[in-house]
Amino acid sequence: MIILTPKRSFTVPVGGECISPDTFAAKSTSEMANLPVWEGNKKRALGHLFRIELKTAPSESLTIRIRGDAGRIRRIGAKMSSGRIVIEGNAGMHLGEEMNGGAITVVGNAGSWAGSRMKKGTIEIKGDAGHYIGAAYRGSNKGMNGGAITIYGNAGNEVGCFMRKGLIKIHGDVGQFTGIHMKNGTIYIGGDSEVRAGAQMLGGKIVVLGRIPSILPTFTIDDIKSRVKIDGEKVEGPFYRFLGDLAENGNGKLFISQKQNTHLTPCERFL
Amino acid sequence: MTVISHITCPVCGDFCDDIEVTVEDNVITDVKNACAVGAARFLNYATHRRTKPLIRKDGELVEASLDEAIRKSAEILADATYPLLFGWSSTSCEATRVGLELAEEVGGVIDNTSTICHGPSILGIQDIGISSCTLGQLRHRADLIFYWGSNPWDAHPRHIERYTMFTEGRFQRSTWRKYVSRLGGTVTEKRLQRTANLLLDHHPPTPIETGQGLPYTMFQKKRKMVVADVRKTRTAEAADYFLQVEPNRDYELLQAFRMLIRDGELDVEEVAGVPVELLEEVADVMIGCELGVFFFGLGLTMSEGRHRNIDAALSLVRDLNQYTKFLIMPMRGHFNVTGANVVFTWQTGYPFAVDLSQGFPRYNPGETSTIDILRRRESDAALVIGSDPLAHFPKKTAQNLIKNPLIAIDPELTPTTLMADVVIPPAYVGIEAEGTAYRMDHVPLPLKKIVDPPETCLSDEEILRRILNEVRRIRRKLN
Amino acid sequence: MNGERIDLYICDGKVVEKVDERKAKVIDASGMMVMPGGVDIHSHIAGAEVNAGRLLRPEDHVKDVEAKTAVTRSGVGYSVPSTFTTGYRYSRMGYTTVMNPSMPPLEARHTHEELNDTPMIDKAAFPLIGDWWVVLEYLQDDRIEECAAHVAWIMRATKGYAIKIVNPGGLEAWGFGRNVAGIDDSVPHFNITPRDIIRGLCKVNKLLNLPHTIHVHTNNLGRPGNYATAIETMKCVEDLAEEDNPVIHITHCQFCAFKGSDWQTLQSGAEEIAEYVNQHNHVTLDMGQVVFTDTTTMTADGPFQYGLYGLTGNKWVNHDVETETSGGIVPFRYRRKSHVNATQWSIGLELALLIEDPWRIYLTTDHPNGAPFTTYPKVISWLMSTVARKKMLKRISRRARRKSLLPSIDREYNFDEIATVTRAGQSKALGLKQKGHLGLGADADIAIYNLNPKTVDPSIEYKAVTRAFCKPAYTLKGGEIVARDGEIVKPIQGGTFWVDIKLSKPWEPSEDLKLKFREYWTVEYENYPISEDYLKASLPIRVEARI
Repeated sequence: MIILTPKRSFTVPVGGECISPDTFAAKSTSEMANLPVWEGNKKRALGHLFRIELKTAPSESLTIRIRGDAGRIRRIGAKMSSGRIVIEGNAGMHLGEEMNGGAITVVGNAGSWAGSRMKKGTIEIKGDAGHYIGAAYRGSNKGMNGGAITIYGNAGNEVGCFMRKGLIKIHGDVGQFTGIHMKNGTIYIGGDSEVRAGAQMLGGKIVVLGRIPSILPTFTIDDIKSRVKIDGEKVEGPFYRFLGDLAENGNGKLFISQKQNTHLTPCERFL
Repeated sequence: MTVISHITCPVCGDFCDDIEVTVEDNVITDVKNACAVGAARFLNYATHRRTKPLIRKDGELVEASLDEAIRKSAEILADATYPLLFGWSSTSCEATRVGLELAEEVGGVIDNTSTICHGPSILGIQDIGISSCTLGQLRHRADLIFYWGSNPWDAHPRHIERYTMFTEGRFQRSTWRKYVSRLGGTVTEKRLQRTANLLLDHHPPTPIETGQGLPYTMFQKKRKMVVADVRKTRTAEAADYFLQVEPNRDYELLQAFRMLIRDGELDVEEVAGVPVELLEEVADVMIGCELGVFFFGLGLTMSEGRHRNIDAALSLVRDLNQYTKFLIMPMRGHFNVTGANVVFTWQTGYPFAVDLSQGFPRYNPGETSTIDILRRRESDAALVIGSDPLAHFPKKTAQNLIKNPLIAIDPELTPTTLMADVVIPPAYVGIEAEGTAYRMDHVPLPLKKIVDPPETCLSDEEILRRILNEVRRIRRKLN
Repeated sequence: MNGERIDLYICDGKVVEKVDERKAKVIDASGMMVMPGGVDIHSHIAGAEVNAGRLLRPEDHVKDVEAKTAVTRSGVGYSVPSTFTTGYRYSRMGYTTVMNPSMPPLEARHTHEELNDTPMIDKAAFPLIGDWWVVLEYLQDDRIEECAAHVAWIMRATKGYAIKIVNPGGLEAWGFGRNVAGIDDSVPHFNITPRDIIRGLCKVNKLLNLPHTIHVHTNNLGRPGNYATAIETMKCVEDLAEEDNPVIHITHCQFCAFKGSDWQTLQSGAEEIAEYVNQHNHVTLDMGQVVFTDTTTMTADGPFQYGLYGLTGNKWVNHDVETETSGGIVPFRYRRKSHVNATQWSIGLELALLIEDPWRIYLTTDHPNGAPFTTYPKVISWLMSTVARKKMLKRISRRARRKSLLPSIDREYNFDEIATVTRAGQSKALGLKQKGHLGLGADADIAIYNLNPKTVDPSIEYKAVTRAFCKPAYTLKGGEIVARDGEIVKPIQGGTFWVDIKLSKPWEPSEDLKLKFREYWTVEYENYPISEDYLKASLPIRVEARI
């Protein structure tokens, strides 16, 4: 296990893409300390910003543990393919970007774009997360393409933007435009959702257990389902099932808890 | 006394280039062809200007020499770890070019004001694309003009007259006469209604149109205008159809339109406060036109949903091209905000919010955009040019901006220049200095020098060039 | 050239007979291949449409970035690189002159602003003239001389170099969302056909004595069956040729050499086109080769781009320019396993190999339409080696492979022919007398490749050839070493060519035109032209017109 402890607090953004089991593998602590890191426009060595300790524990995969706040450190675990990262505080933006395997756990909150463009692996965030979880890069239509993200707190807008595959589970509330432009995959929201869930979706599945103020006019009610399956697990409903986004000729499915959303009862007349 | 013609007007995104000014003793005394806003600019630009550089010493802004101010600015930028260079929409492309070089040299984030106006439009374009044109295309061909969340009558006063409804094109006639006769009718109608109300003294005056935004004007065979807005603006009064959108529900309305033009049916009676029958009628008009154009303003980019509103609008226009020709254009505000985007893009690949801190351009609005950087308090110095963020930014970001050293290149007395640590007043570009700027439809036009600037005022370009040279000198000394 | 070993003397940026060797700097290029700097006749590197492509594609930039160095500026971009990066990449590949083939005249100022920021190379831009209302009006009344005088004004006003015609008549029709179907279809609202436009402007070109011919992007581009349109287009100016001089350039010919009635039956029309070209001297072409990669298509052909959006569903940009032209952009990935894309790949090479005279067909990818210009070395390897071609053939769609003519073609280009299709031929077609050769008085724009033509067999060692063409040992521009081993060592500005046409009697636009200007355009006549000092390094080419 490698333990990184920030030597001081950071104000300007720090590029943490080298903090990844793939980069650390087979390196001595002094080699790790020499890895280049950008702090704003200054190129520094990792050892300049962090105390690095190596604790050999009998574990099969490499684990990196960050003790302290990493809220300003971006792209931790970017492109990692194996091993494990545990962040005991907050994590900055682009956590696990383009991740290809392994696992990341954040005890605190994570910034926006966590798990963006990820293909494999798991990300677990105990606190809240920002916007664009599992999203695509600007201009691209290739969002999250596999793996799983679990957030125990709340998340912001555009969760799963341009998502293609995989699972995003949020136990708290989410902002607007959940699953915008999503093509496939599953988004589960344990709490409440703001408006415009499923906007412009082409396929995939969004499940909202809590309340949602309204459904887009471009969705049409299709059925009431007593339960829905998420990643093999059954979640008990009943749920309204809406299809859409019809403005895009989409075939996505929106499952909305019937009990929590009595204001949607008028929809039932179309069934 | 000299009369100078074909002057471009450095005010709004319409960037009219037919202004005529009269100059006497280096003072502009008369302006022709300009709108009220433009004329006021030419006649009064110098009323509250500064001419001497200022540096903050012991908490007070005191006069300094230009060299001192330049040196101080260069020191601030050269020392910074994450400086921010913001503004650029009210200066020339030439200055922006130097600005980008400066940002690259100091390893900073450079951002223009589209970050708080049409940034969402750009994000939308990057996801969807855009079917657009230059404004003349509309003069000649457009028979349906749609304004959404923009009020050109007040914000771009010559827009309708020069480019859309009231202009004579090769294939389309002006609807000016029709408007005038209709206006007469409306005034009479209003007067009668008022008299009737006074005489009858029963109810409070009933508005002429119903609250649901049904059209109240006579049907027009030629060019048609549709306005969607949260309130009935003067532009809306001149329109054939007015859709009064519930605030922050634009996205729903746009998506509903997209479904209607696909012959889809809506399961609801109204969307965003507009009855579906009216939507269906307008959708028919859109499909039936020969060439339609959709202008949108900050009413759409800055209402809830932001770039997704634009995403929907761009998609709507794209979809409409299956049936007819349809184009879309953002109503840009500052006269050269388009130019700032254009220059940023050709030099760095990205139109705004460009982070050069690692020696190459990176772009991710939300991460590298001014408001977000300031909100998270990441930057440690800033240079602001031709913009007044302190008056326009959210409170917390404005507070964070002045917690670090701030350089302002601006001749005006604004909250930003009052709070800055270094103030360098330049010559007014387009009046006292030359350059190039881009109209909202990406047509580049020359900015002209009409009068001489005060001796102490250099052009933005020259000031930036000198700061850049000074930064390089400091860097060389350090190495 | 021709594999001979010579000493080459350079002074003041020119090739000279002799210099004092004691005082001169000597570059030892023994065992290396020396060629004139590369010349690209058709590459979209600057202007409104290219920049719209840049804005559209952050996802393209993010995967390919260049950090600033002590001498160079930073930049980004794989298929639509930023301006500085474009200049550097060309220079690092041994290219020294590049033509920007599509400039909307109303936005010419924009193109020149960007060219000013494109270092390392000489460049020029071709204004789009084929759908100008004023030109159409002159041509429909057969007023060729007045039209010529007007075109001379356009060239001066926009600082242009050659007449570019894109889908003549089709762009005007696109104003209302329509297109023309062939060269004899009438243009809506005008009493004219594409044939009249091409012939008219070809006559104008001759009257003005312009250094390049008309540069034509044909009607029906990118549609199955369009090889017939391409041949008709070439035929329609056959009678205007004098002696052996070309009068028309058909650009990115691959995109207009499709046979078949729809995408399912698509096959190559290269054989027919090559046969025609081999029998006629009045035409030059460039390849518009496709390379399998992710790129950004951009042309002034609005209706074509809309069609491409329809085919792919990718994001789509359209930009109509009032009274003049249009433009469109769609990101596109050419896939080996798509039979259409693979056939396109084959067509480009078939054209280059079946057209016998290398002085009449030039290597381009219509950057970035077929592929980014950085893929040229790969295309060179396909031209030089049947082995390289066979290797790629094995990997493409089976349907396309079965229909491809490539297995039946053994021709392999030699280095001489490569030099012709990448510089000598192109500069000859462009009328750039001082480029594309190393004779006395030529510009000292030189590429030195780390490759010994005597010992290398390009047919087998095609990979070494590709490597050498990617990274020349030296690039010289104006006699100075500007790049070494793929690194920029000295940034230079590079000039902008434009034609300074002298008419026999001075011609001022009539008051009538000025009045029309107000009607037609939304800018003032006085604000339309670009002054010469707007170009950072202006290189006017003096031309005496016949009128």
